[in-house]
Parts: sequence; C-alpha cells; structure tokens
Amino acid sequence: MRTLRVLLADDHNLIRAGLRLVVAQQPDCMVVGEAGNGREAVAMANSLKPDVAVLDIGMPDLNGIEACRQIRESLPGTQVVMLSMHSDESYVLRALKAGARAYLLKDSAEADLARAIRAAWEGKSFFSPAVGKVLLEDYMRKLQRTGGEDSYELLSPREREVLQLVAEGKSSKEISNILNVSVYTVETHRANLMQKLNLKSVPEVILYAVRKGIIS
Amino acid sequence: MSAFLGLFGLMLGSGLAAVGDLDRMHAQEQAARHEFLQRTQALGGLCLSIELFGDSVQQSVSVQDDDGVAALRDRLDRLQGDIQLVLGSYNSGPHDRELVTLKVIQTLFFRQRDLVVQMLSWSADERRRRAPLLVHREVAPLLSEILQRSDQLRLANDQQLHDADQTLLAQFASLQASLTRSIALALASGLILILASMIYILRLERQTRLRYAEVVRSRRELEQLSARLVDAQETERRNISRELHDEVGQTLGALLVDFGRLLATLPASAPHLREQVDKMKAVAERSVQAVRNLALLLRPSMLDDLGLVPALEWQGREVSRNSQMEVDVESANVSEDLPDDYKVAIYRLVQEALHNAVRHAAARNARVRVEQDAGRIRVEVADDGRGFDPARSRGVGILGMEERVKRLGGAFSIDSKAGQGTTVRAELPLRREEPAA
Repeated sequence: MRTLRVLLADDHNLIRAGLRLVVAQQPDCMVVGEAGNGREAVAMANSLKPDVAVLDIGMPDLNGIEACRQIRESLPGTQVVMLSMHSDESYVLRALKAGARAYLLKDSAEADLARAIRAAWEGKSFFSPAVGKVLLEDYMRKLQRTGGEDSYELLSPREREVLQLVAEGKSSKEISNILNVSVYTVETHRANLMQKLNLKSVPEVILYAVRKGIIS
Repeated sequence: MSAFLGLFGLMLGSGLAAVGDLDRMHAQEQAARHEFLQRTQALGGLCLSIELFGDSVQQSVSVQDDDGVAALRDRLDRLQGDIQLVLGSYNSGPHDRELVTLKVIQTLFFRQRDLVVQMLSWSADERRRRAPLLVHREVAPLLSEILQRSDQLRLANDQQLHDADQTLLAQFASLQASLTRSIALALASGLILILASMIYILRLERQTRLRYAEVVRSRRELEQLSARLVDAQETERRNISRELHDEVGQTLGALLVDFGRLLATLPASAPHLREQVDKMKAVAERSVQAVRNLALLLRPSMLDDLGLVPALEWQGREVSRNSQMEVDVESANVSEDLPDDYKVAIYRLVQEALHNAVRHAAARNARVRVEQDAGRIRVEVADDGRGFDPARSRGVGILGMEERVKRLGGAFSIDSKAGQGTTVRAELPLRREEPAA
C-alpha cells in the first residue's frame, strides 16, 4: 500500500496542528505541506502535487471552494477533502460543484479525517454523518410543510441502483460493467432519474443521495 | 397692516377737513358779498336822499307862500325819516370807524335840518334876504361834508369787501398749504411704509432662505450620519465576528480536535474516563456552536464564502429550521461578483424581513425573490402573515432596511394590510464602473 501524500490548508495554526497530528497518526498518510490561505494552498498543490488536499472552506484571500476549483482544474489527479463548519446544503453543493469528493464538518474532523482522505483518494464520496442528517431534516421538513411528495418513490429499482452508483462517483462505463448493461442504457436511466428528481448535475445527485442516506 | 390703516385714515381725514374748509369759505364769501350789496344799496339810498334834501334846501330859499313852505317841510320830514332809516339799518360791519362816520353824518344832517327848519320859520322877505347867505355859509358846507363823509363810508365799504376777499384768499392759501402738507405727509408715510414693507419682506425672505439652507444642510448631515452609522455598524459587526471566529471559535475548535484525539488514545478499559472526556467535548461543541451562531449573526461569512444567492438560500433554510415558517428562495441572473455593500444590504434586508415575518407576523410561508437585469437588482420578500399598516408603525428594523437601500440610491417600499401579509420590495441601481468589491 502506497503512502498518501496530503496537503493541509487552514488559516488557523491550532486547527492545522490538530489535523496534522491526526494525519500523522495514520500509517498510510503523510503531510507533505501546510498552507495558511487558499492562494498559498493552490501554489503548494501545483508544486507538490499531493494525492489529497484537505481545504478549509473559509480561508482569507482565496476561500476553500475557489481553491478547490483551481486545484481540480490544474491537477485532476489530486482529490479534495473540504473542511467546513457548515452542514448547510449551500455549502455542500458548492463544494461538490467545485470538485470536492469529501465534505467534513470541523467538529468531527479528527474522527473522520483519515476515512475521508482514503475515500476521496479512491474517488468515493464521503460526508460527515451530521451533514446527511441535516440535509435529510431540511428535505423532510419542506416536504411536510409544503405537502409535496417524496419523488424517490417515483424511481424504478434499477434507477435507484444507478442513482447510488452515480452518487458514489462511478462513471457510466463502470456502472455498465457492474450492472451488466450497455453504457447507453445506463445513460438513459441516469437521465430519467435526474429528470424525475429534478436534479441538474452530478453534484446535485450526490447531494440528493447524501440527503436520502443512500451514501454517506 | 395697522400702518396701512393709519395712512388711509390720514388721507381720509385731511380730505374731509379740506371739504369742510371749502364749504365754510364758500359760506363766508356769500355772506361778505351779501353784506356788501346791502351796504351799497343803503349808501345809494342815502346819497339820493341827501341830494334830494339839498334840492329841497335850495327850493326853501325861494319858496313864497305858506302852502309851499308846508309842502317843503313835509318833504323834508320824509327825507329826514328816510335818511334816519338808512342810517339805523346800516350794517356797519366790525369796524367802529364807520359807526363813528355814521354818527357824524347823522349829527351833520340834524344840524342842517335845524338850519332849514329855522329858515322856513322866517318870513318870505326875511328868507329872501338872509337865506342865500345862510345857505352859502352854513348849509352848503354841511352838505358837502355829509357827501364827503358818505364817500368815506363807500370807500370803507369797498375796503371791507376787499378785506373779506383778502381773508378768503388767505384762508384758501392756508387750505391749499394744509392740503399740500397732507398730501406730502401721506406720500411720505406711504413711501416709508413701502420701504419698511420691502425691508421687512426682504428680511423675511433672507431668513426663509437661510432656514431652508439650514434644513437642507441638516438633512444631508443626517443622511450622511445615518450612512456612516450603517457603515460603522457593519464594520464593527465584521470586526467582532472575525474576532469571535478567529480567536474564540478556532481555539474552541482546536480544543475539540484535541478532545477527539484524547478519546481516540484513551484505552477502552477506562470507560469512566471516556465518559468524562465525552461530556467535556459536548460542552466544547455547544460553545463552538454558540460562538459560530453569534459570529454568523454579526457577519454572514456565507457572503464571503459562497456569494449572495447561496447565502440567501442558506438563510432561508436556517429560518425554516428554527421557526414554523417555510422559506422559499428564488433567484434569476444574479451575478456572483456583486459589490460587497450590495450583498450586505440585500442580505440584511432579507434577514430583517424574514425576522419580522416570523416574529411579528407569525407567517407560515415566505418567498424571497432576487433578480438582476440590465443595471438593476430587485429584491422582494413576501409573507402570508398578519400584516400591518406600514403608514402607522415603522420599527427601527424597517428604517434600517430603508436606510441601506437609500444609501445605494435604490427605492424601497412595503405593501401590507392587516390580514393580508406583507411584501417588502427594494430595487437597487447597479454601479457600472465599479468592479467587485
């Protein structure tokens, strides 16, 4: 097993020190660099080419979301774990759209950081359990108050399978292999389920899946 | 006003006095003319009587028979009565001199008459001898003196008329002078009045202008002050928020990380210890949450992290989570690089409107709409709450919203009626030249 090279970016030394200790305790991880703001993080990522960048969402100069977008653009091989204090959908969706794989709440960072880094590196999604809980609560409350119906019930079993696989970060080709169907069929299922759920992009699919507890 | 009334009174008074004076003068003139005519008539009668008397005296010298003497005496008596009547009724006027002349004439006449009576008592012969001498020596001088005196009276009479004319002329001149004075006085007072009025009006106008300028200035100052207040408030909030977030929040966050690591390293054989650390961690988590909420209230970091629309969506969900009201946020074409003061103004406006909808209107649903088109950004927050009369009650919150919108040159309005919900609208013109703040 190769050792994962990790870049840490947080504007607070205390937090960064705590995170470093957590990462350093993992036998398969090492911290290759630490940045104090978003711009620094982008520059260091470009020179160090880490496997995983752990970015705080609220950094001065250049915030974590923008830094994530730039890193993912120039280094497609570097995955991003976003650290945030907010479990709100706005943040999660923004982070996902910027290309982050994992979304961790700072409160629980120390417990889940290692798992999140590994999941991200494998191209899987990872979310703090509290995030899924908040998203689900928001969703249920809205359904309840506005009297809308849960559109998940409209999906066929096959569409639900495709939904989960898409949310886990699998490509259409990977999904076609897993389900033993053609890529064209997978694309059709994907388009149908997104239309039924009124989702416009893969990040929204991931968010939906997290909200429904399909992935975590 | 009273000055104008005074001026009018002055003119009216002098006019009335002049009319009265003219009337009086006219009456006076009539009286003088009347008296003059009377006196002229009397004097004419007197002269005639005196001449007739003179004739009678001449006749008395040459009268022969007794009948003639008696007739002559009769005539003399009649003439004498006439003359006395004229003298008695003569209106001499105010001057004593004429009265004296009259008395003298009367005396002379009496003496003349006595002489004639004496002459008549003589016999015819005697009269023929002595009368011419007597007439020549006594009666004729008397007669001529009487004529002379009556001439004097005529002259005096003329003089009186002349005097009366002079008096009238003098009175007229004085009336003219007094009228001229009155008119001059009225003109002068009118002029003074006009001048005074003009000065008064000019001063009033200057005062009004000064006061207006002062009002304008103080209003501008007030606007600047409230704009500075809003700025200062925002800056202060941002500073405190940053302080809370950077110092307190991060320290607590680090503490949480430490607690987590501690829990991870604690042996499973000491459940007692784990429980205690768990409790401490829970306390720290609550503190972190409290500090975070406070910091967010002071300065919504979403605005910096995400931009306006996600921040509004976040806020909508946050309100939905913590109240009985469901908030729906819609947006169209809102650019991500709005200037910071716009983002803050819109964010605070929506925050305040939603707060009011929950707190005061007990609304169940609220809709936030933000849309941007050429050069403008429109915000609308509508709820289905109790509503109120915006003309009557305007809280500090509403004033604050209005202030923020005005500062950016926008228009702000509230539509609300009791029982029909409330809609807050704002329209902000975008600055073209300015890049994202």
